Amino acid sequence: MGDGGVFAACQEVGGDLAEVDWAATPLGPPREWPQSLQTAVSILLSSRFPMWMAWGEELTFFCNAAYRRDTLGRKYPWALGRPASEVWSEIWGDIGPRIEAVLGTGRATWDEALLLFLERSGYTEETYHTFSYSPLRDDAGEVVGMLCVVNEDTERVIGERRMATLRDLGSDPSVIRTEQEVLAFVHRQLSRNLKDLPFTLTYLFDGDEARLAGTTGVTPGTPVAPRSLPVGGPGGVWPVWELAEGETRVIPLAEASFGPLPVGDWPESPLQALVVPLLRQGGAPYGFLVAALNRYRDLDDHYRGFVELTAGHIASGIGSARSYQAQQRRAEELAELDRAKTTFFSNISHELRTPLTLIMGPVEELRTRLSGAGEEVHAELDVIHRNGLRLGKLVNTLLDFSRLEAGRMQARYEPVELAAVTAELASVFRSAVERAGLTLDVDCPALDEPVYVDRAMWEKVVLNLLSNALKFTFEGAVRVRVRRSGPDAVVVVADTGTGVPETEMPRLFERFHRIENARARSHEGSGIGLALVRELVGLHGGTIDAESTEGVGTTFTLRIPFGTAHLPADSVVSEPDGGAAGATADPYVHEAFRWLPTSEPAPADDGGPREVGAAAVVPGAGPAYSARVLVADDNADMREYLARLLAAAGYRVTEVTDGVEALAAARRRTPDLVVSDVMMPRLDGLELVSRLRADPRTASVPVLLLSARAGQEASIEGLRAGADDYLVKPFAAAELLARVRANVELARLRDHHLRWRTALIDSLQEAFFVCDESGTVVEINAAFTDILGYGPEGLPYAPVHPWWPHAPADPGAYEQVGDAFARLLQSPRGSYTVPVTHRDGHRLWVAVNFNKAEDPNTGRGVTVGTFRDVTAEHYAVQRETALAALSTSLSRAADLPEALSAGLHVLRSLWHARVVVAAVFGGGDTPALTATDATLRWEDLPAARREALTALRDRPSLTVVAEDSGAGVLLEHPESPMVVWVDLEGHRPFGSEDQLLLSLLAGHLAQGLGRAHQIDQQRETAIALQRAILGPARLPEGFAVRYEPATRPLEVGGDWYDTVTLPDGRIGIVVGDCVGRGLEAASVMGQLRSACRALLLQDPSPARTLTALDQFAAGVAGAICTTVFCGVLEPGSGELTYSSAGHPPGILVHPDGSSRLLEDGRALPLAVRPGRARPEATCSLPARATLLLYTDGLVERRRRPLSAGMEQAGEAVKEGREMPVEDLATAVMSRLAPAGGYDDDVALLLYRHPAPLEMIFPAESSQLAPVRRALRGWLDQCDLPPTTVQNVLVAAGEACANAIEHGHRHTPGEDVRLRAEALVDTLRVTVADSGRWRVPQRGRNTHRGRGISLMHALMQEVTVAPGPSGTTVDMQMRIA
Amino acid sequence: MTTPLTLTPGRGPDGTGHLAVSGEIDMSNAGDLAEALDSGSGPLVVDLTGVEYLDSAGLSVLFAHAERLELIVPPLLEPVLTVSGLADLVTVHGLGGEAGSRQ
Repeated sequence: MGDGGVFAACQEVGGDLAEVDWAATPLGPPREWPQSLQTAVSILLSSRFPMWMAWGEELTFFCNAAYRRDTLGRKYPWALGRPASEVWSEIWGDIGPRIEAVLGTGRATWDEALLLFLERSGYTEETYHTFSYSPLRDDAGEVVGMLCVVNEDTERVIGERRMATLRDLGSDPSVIRTEQEVLAFVHRQLSRNLKDLPFTLTYLFDGDEARLAGTTGVTPGTPVAPRSLPVGGPGGVWPVWELAEGETRVIPLAEASFGPLPVGDWPESPLQALVVPLLRQGGAPYGFLVAALNRYRDLDDHYRGFVELTAGHIASGIGSARSYQAQQRRAEELAELDRAKTTFFSNISHELRTPLTLIMGPVEELRTRLSGAGEEVHAELDVIHRNGLRLGKLVNTLLDFSRLEAGRMQARYEPVELAAVTAELASVFRSAVERAGLTLDVDCPALDEPVYVDRAMWEKVVLNLLSNALKFTFEGAVRVRVRRSGPDAVVVVADTGTGVPETEMPRLFERFHRIENARARSHEGSGIGLALVRELVGLHGGTIDAESTEGVGTTFTLRIPFGTAHLPADSVVSEPDGGAAGATADPYVHEAFRWLPTSEPAPADDGGPREVGAAAVVPGAGPAYSARVLVADDNADMREYLARLLAAAGYRVTEVTDGVEALAAARRRTPDLVVSDVMMPRLDGLELVSRLRADPRTASVPVLLLSARAGQEASIEGLRAGADDYLVKPFAAAELLARVRANVELARLRDHHLRWRTALIDSLQEAFFVCDESGTVVEINAAFTDILGYGPEGLPYAPVHPWWPHAPADPGAYEQVGDAFARLLQSPRGSYTVPVTHRDGHRLWVAVNFNKAEDPNTGRGVTVGTFRDVTAEHYAVQRETALAALSTSLSRAADLPEALSAGLHVLRSLWHARVVVAAVFGGGDTPALTATDATLRWEDLPAARREALTALRDRPSLTVVAEDSGAGVLLEHPESPMVVWVDLEGHRPFGSEDQLLLSLLAGHLAQGLGRAHQIDQQRETAIALQRAILGPARLPEGFAVRYEPATRPLEVGGDWYDTVTLPDGRIGIVVGDCVGRGLEAASVMGQLRSACRALLLQDPSPARTLTALDQFAAGVAGAICTTVFCGVLEPGSGELTYSSAGHPPGILVHPDGSSRLLEDGRALPLAVRPGRARPEATCSLPARATLLLYTDGLVERRRRPLSAGMEQAGEAVKEGREMPVEDLATAVMSRLAPAGGYDDDVALLLYRHPAPLEMIFPAESSQLAPVRRALRGWLDQCDLPPTTVQNVLVAAGEACANAIEHGHRHTPGEDVRLRAEALVDTLRVTVADSGRWRVPQRGRNTHRGRGISLMHALMQEVTVAPGPSGTTVDMQMRIA
Repeated sequence: MTTPLTLTPGRGPDGTGHLAVSGEIDMSNAGDLAEALDSGSGPLVVDLTGVEYLDSAGLSVLFAHAERLELIVPPLLEPVLTVSGLADLVTVHGLGGEAGSRQ
């Protein structure tokens, strides 16, 4: 692999990694890197999660692109290839011990939101990281580095901290307080966050100076916090002038003028302060906030926004407090105004009366003085006089109105010729009536007695009735009739007008009651006329009744009692004051003329006391800003009237004709106020209110209902429906405007809190939602939309919510969300983590916290919840778990196939896959298939799947290919490329996170397989090596040896045996055991064995050999504490000299079964005390005794004394002492093997004395004597009686003679083999040749027959076995 | 290398022929013995006291002259002579009393 190949997984960082001078690092050039490092780097670079890793002795630093982006900052690319301790020197105190722990223990670490001060952005930065260090292992499985998966939490931690401060600021339950209280509360809250706001100063403008109104984290009066600053110039420490202009400024704090600065919660003082004006809507700022900034954070938009939100809250708090104070002042002013108004009316009446008096007096004089003048002069004087009087009456009437309202009406009842007075009043209307095309029919014959009436009141009664009749009559006549009826005078005013609907009749005289939609000459009018009439009639002790038929006409009948008995005595006068009638009538007539279609001007054009005057009563110059008012009324006149009124007052008005349109308009654009009639077609006002309240977008819009229906019940009904105010028609324009203004102001105040709340909720980094009782989501914030993709336009979201996982595609996830949702509905509070689906379809994991609350408006239960996106954490945990599971499985595997199978099972259970298969594409036609379903073969796979798997071979390795039915990846199997396929059967989507995870696991699997493969190979190599160097290729006769490696997965060890034939014919015997396992131990063993062999050949003394070996071992790493048994055997005599370096004693078993231990000659293991002389012992091996030498693996067992194992070994030899040593060795090994095999390696050496005699000689008679001599010598070692020796000699000689004579008659010189072996009670001799001969008849007469007979006679058992390759004569004799 | 065999002819006090044999007798040198026996006639005392080994090849030579031989054998050779049946044909000295009585 070239240098670039390792880094190919990522162009961005890979390119820079390739530039690093690796040869200068301890890791060396990349092409020489071990596979494990290459794999680790490749995984690192291909991951989209922020990761870094460190490898090797210097912990050389690597990172990927995500880590560079999120964390490394300006240290890139400098950091690549440097020691990690240098890269992160500033936090090495924090992370160094963690890394040491990982390297030391091999266990991963986990830290959540750990505060680290990084130097990556050019300044010391406050950061929080959640990270895990996990160990990286080299090809031999040693921990040589570590991998760090990081999730930076800085934004979240700091965001939550700032959010908490903003939340606390908004948590004050009392809305309106004094300015001092507001400031005290604010500073209490700000002083709890000295991290983001190490210190703050709040200055308020107060005339020419800015006054320090509050501080946190700093003492008032210190140089940085002067108690007051001049506004006018550059005099103070803070730039007051710019701030007064509303500018925000960043002020460096390094200047000396600030003096020593407070540090807040940090070790060092802040470097900057952000100075923010406390803005007032439509005015100069209230003051400004100085916020010292956390020097460990950059002043980014979030930070600036936080400080500005804080300042905004302070400003609004001050605004509320001041506006509350202003309102209090205004209330006091209004009371004052009321008092002033009363005074005004009294005064103005007086003021008017004075000039009137000054007019009337001279007129009277002129009329007297000019009594002789012409008629015309008199007539004009009369006009002046009459109108003067009328004006005087008008003034008095104005006063009467206020008296009536105040209940202080002063009546003056005088005896009146009622018919005449009434007729006169009627005649005033004549011209107007006639101009309207009607006839006025006055039928007022004089009554026989006067009626006591207050003339002014009576005029109002009659004029109102006449005015009313003219207003509603379009053709026919108006009749006025006066009669006597018993004790009453009866006055009837009748018309032929439109009439009054029967349903309206009972309320005809109600105050302010108007008949809606009646056809009339005008819709103007106060609606007070008939009510006033009835009150006035009532004051006279009379009654008024009405009869009406729609389309026919209306008749009012008044009954006034005669006499004075029904009147208060103090108000009755006996003399009429003689004033002219009709003075009050003029305004009525003027008004009536103005209803008429003629263009002829009305008698006066001043407009009369109508709404215009009322409009002027509205205090102030209009609304502070142009509020939007939505007017809903089906009556066009009313609608226009309202629109005109409101527009004139400065509101922006939208008109709609019914409730449905109103609802649509309000939803389209939320108005500041809705003014709506109650009675409307399609959707009435009450229903409109409840619909508006039900929709979160319009729930807070104030609604002012207008209704024709008076009375408390109606207004309660309206308010209950949720209306903010209720106004009964007819209403005064001033009253309407006052109420509109009040509601808009109130809403604005309320809206301010709402906007504050919305801003607060929207600035939460966690998603926020509110559910109603059914689980329908009715409110969300911006973060909710950011995380899930579902915005407020789709509200409400009823369950099943659209972000639930798709049930058919992923039933498990769907069920999980369903369970959590049920909990959310039932529990008072809780939290859970669930999978959800983003609007664009991708999978997310969110951690939800929820709480039950009560909606203060409706009293109904709601669920308020927040959640955050924990997808990254979820997958990080899943990844850690999966990696751990995979590592565990792989480490348990004893060999490569087992490792692969274990790995596939991990993948299968992780994804709940149907099956996971791995195809290894070796040389053959058919790939080797391994599957979680053991019976599955390559041929069983569908053809399409086989093709897909084959195609994956062409993909880059560790690149996951996902399909509907699953996902596949190519990775390096130690033998050939391997494709792994996870078959999900389309049960669930295989998302990008799954792909990343599979890629990661595939990398680990490849590494694990490589390791397993290497272990396999090493083990095999070591065993082969060990066997190769263990002992001599040919053992001397009489010996048997065994070597057994420990059971898998344990490795070979350092045990050995050796025999050395010394020049003097003696035999050196060595059995040893090096400490440790594996190739290393094997190589130490090889060196010791060779050295021991050489030493023995040089000086055949066991003690001296071991003493010399001590010196040698001291120089060989890993040789110390090796135990060795070294002996020198005289094979003829069985004399054994030996010395033991801490080795378990040999066991000698005698022919009779008794045994002894070779315990003498013992000293320390090798190299423990080099230079010390070693002891030596001698032992004589009896004939046919068996010597057992061994290493401790044979006898050492857990929880069992060594002596027990030795006893067992001795017993095994005793029982097998009749067997040939070769068979005995096998028997001992299997007899002592533990159930699961040897868990340590074992070397074993057996010697039976004497050694069997083995001779090969040419088939020549001359060989017989030397063979015989040798056999005799051997037989002498066997400790046998002379006769037996002679018999065996003869029998063997006969067999040899046979072989020479018959077996090789035609091929003299071929080999004949003789073997003699002494077992404990049997002597056995075999003679074999390579020829074929018939067995001669036993008999005396033939020479050969005699030989066979001798053999049979001398030996106990003789068999002659002819075979294709020769003939073997086997003879045995019992010797015990 | 031939098997060491020494043949020493002589006369006994009564003039009977006497052959002292020492060494080992096997097929390699049985011919020498046969030659020595064939060269004479009449009774002959063969003294095998010095013989350490005697196999069927030697026995066959002795069987061929059994009628004129008297044998003096060491205990070591007795089993061979007995087993081969030669002891039944010739007078064997040095055997146990039983052998003599067969005479």
